[in-house]
Amino acid sequence: MLFNSKSFLLFFPIVCAVYFCIPSTRIRVRNMWLLVASYYFYMNWQPAYALLLLSSTVVTYLAALGMDHYKSLENKKMCLIGGIVFNLALLFLFKYYNFFSSNIEHVLQKTGLGIDIPDFHLLLPVGISFYTFQALGYSIDVYRGVAKVEKDFWTYALFVSFFPQLVAGPIERSNNLLPQFRQKHDFDVEAVMTGLKWMMWGYFLKLVLSDRCGIYVDAVFNNVEMHNGGSFLVAALLFTFQIYGDFAGYSLIAIGVARVLGFSLMENFHRPYLACTVGEFWHRWHISLSTWLKDYVYIPLGGSRVGRWRTYFNLLVTFIISGLWHGANWTFLCWGCLHGMILCLERALGCHKKVYHGINKYLHNIWTFILICVLWMLFRANSLTDFITIVKGIVTNAGFPYVQDVGWGVLIASFAAIGAVLVKDIAAEKQWFAFPADGWVCRLVQCTYIALLLAIISLFGVFGGNQFIYFQF
Amino acid sequence: MKKFVGYLFCIICLWFVFDRIGGTAMWWLNQRSLDSTSPKIREIVESVDADVVMMGTSRCNCHYVPSILQDTLGMTTYNAGIDGSDNIFAQYMALCYLLQRHKPKVLCLEVQNSFIEEEESAFCTTGFFAPYFGLNEKADNVFRLSGDYWLYQISHLYRFNTKVLANLTGQVKSHWYQNESGYLPKERPVVFPSPAHWGEEEVIVNETKVQYLKMFVDECRTNGIALCFVISPAYGIAEPSYYAQLHAFADSHNIPLLDYHTSGLFIDHQEYFKDCFHLWDEGARLYSSIFASDLKRILQLRR
Repeated sequence: MLFNSKSFLLFFPIVCAVYFCIPSTRIRVRNMWLLVASYYFYMNWQPAYALLLLSSTVVTYLAALGMDHYKSLENKKMCLIGGIVFNLALLFLFKYYNFFSSNIEHVLQKTGLGIDIPDFHLLLPVGISFYTFQALGYSIDVYRGVAKVEKDFWTYALFVSFFPQLVAGPIERSNNLLPQFRQKHDFDVEAVMTGLKWMMWGYFLKLVLSDRCGIYVDAVFNNVEMHNGGSFLVAALLFTFQIYGDFAGYSLIAIGVARVLGFSLMENFHRPYLACTVGEFWHRWHISLSTWLKDYVYIPLGGSRVGRWRTYFNLLVTFIISGLWHGANWTFLCWGCLHGMILCLERALGCHKKVYHGINKYLHNIWTFILICVLWMLFRANSLTDFITIVKGIVTNAGFPYVQDVGWGVLIASFAAIGAVLVKDIAAEKQWFAFPADGWVCRLVQCTYIALLLAIISLFGVFGGNQFIYFQF
Repeated sequence: MKKFVGYLFCIICLWFVFDRIGGTAMWWLNQRSLDSTSPKIREIVESVDADVVMMGTSRCNCHYVPSILQDTLGMTTYNAGIDGSDNIFAQYMALCYLLQRHKPKVLCLEVQNSFIEEEESAFCTTGFFAPYFGLNEKADNVFRLSGDYWLYQISHLYRFNTKVLANLTGQVKSHWYQNESGYLPKERPVVFPSPAHWGEEEVIVNETKVQYLKMFVDECRTNGIALCFVISPAYGIAEPSYYAQLHAFADSHNIPLLDYHTSGLFIDHQEYFKDCFHLWDEGARLYSSIFASDLKRILQLRR
């Protein structure tokens, strides 16, 4: 089920109504209701794949129980490894097997060994990268002793499958989310209003910004041979905001939905395009994944407390994993690798420690934005060959951007939405204005904000039931 | 809970105000827009009174020159082709709005496979007619089928969702030719197209669409309109069986179908085409004169 589908507009009020009709003291009943709703939400897409979700849940649950049960470090380690191997095997089989097998086959053919490795034509389970990472994070935390083991299976199952963040994050930490399932959540009007406000802005980002930009982006990036440098530059700029609107929009809707129900999920995007370095960008973009990779990959590798070259190596490995996490394609791998290399360069130049002010800040901001845009082109390109065609087009074939079939209206609306988002982000960064803290003015402003966004979305939203880009990761 | 109900009431009231004010403003813009479809739909709903009406998609829009048809047939002609309306639902709605006020003597429908075949977003262009929601019960039934009926009922702004960008740009730039009776000529292309080949995939028929095509035929028959199907030329070769289902439908309903897509006159002449599926003005004028003679013959035979 998509957050921007008509079925969700029916599903969410029903879930909320039943949830709040159950007395807040009956925490277990409420959790069971949320668990049923979460599995229904997931099974709406491919019912059979709920078994994968369940198996990942059962294995990590048992692994954590095992770690709690055994006293010896070796046994604990065995339980942890069992959980990790199972989850990564699932991920590998469904997401990476075909990529690796076709590449190995290709290499073998080049060396004269024509071995035919069979392909699996399996549909990628929605959100598999998200829920396996969340479950793995829990297992590692239990092993490290930073998180308490959850003995109630149903509560743990809800932690893995909690519908607002099940298919596209934020990738939650057990220490943040699990305790909330044990708490009483009374109906809180302020929380509901805040949640609705976030949901509305999330819908704006998805339907008005992302899907509108997507019309031009798809027209250009899906036919790279037909377009010139001008079109590629405009498409790259639009894709930069399309992916932001899509993913930040989804995250905000997820956080808002959870807030309405009384839960607090972690912030996933913090105005990423206002970053002054690529390093800072990764502190603001997909924060839940960045911190996951930092805590469970980068730091265990030694982080920055090792020698200079080893730190660079750690950074590269972490970002290559980040690239691969996004998808089984050379474009994602190269994208991650390039991000890693830029971070190494920034570290070598000492940019990561500098604080920028005044004009210097703006210049660094613009430079970082351009770098990010270029790297997004690689991310969006359908193949490395397409990316080379795009770069060639930009360098050698300048021209007026393609407008014909897409129409000026789409471009104007896309840039207007980008302008609105930038103004909001800059205003929030500079703290130009804030919602009044309390009183009737506060209530009126909140209501006007939600009503106005609803009106804008109904007029300018793209209602094609488009999938969220991050669902494929 | 009381407080929440208060909030909800406030949001609904404010939204209602924004929606109705916005809806009125959008209606005003829609009535003044000179984009390629709004004026056409406006004329279909409000003022078309021609004897012969051509209906169809963009191929109809730029292939039939009413003045040429008028001279040959001796009857007033209007080109009611609507850009992008590649589905039978949109055509049926256009017919309903037209018949509400005027009954033409002859109606030619430029047919294509998308009128009967299974598609992912079959209703995408029915939204063109949403500004006229509530005007015609039969047309509103299509909105019921597409699942938008209640959304249009609730929100006036949402009725303009499909047309908003065209209506806004249509205030500044005109795509409309006032004196051409609906004909929208295409300019000569800089580069002529290469021949296309299509129709290798099997046409999977959608029963709902076929039912609407039948309803289209029935509406014409009930109102005593002489109906004719046409397939205009394209630059390329379709598989011989590509239009078989449309031919079979026309035969079974005893409707004449003029099929020009294999016409030798156009098949080797890229200089008449803007792209593989659209003739530019010169090609359209030549084609219109051929079509007008054929239509005249058919109408004479009928008498």
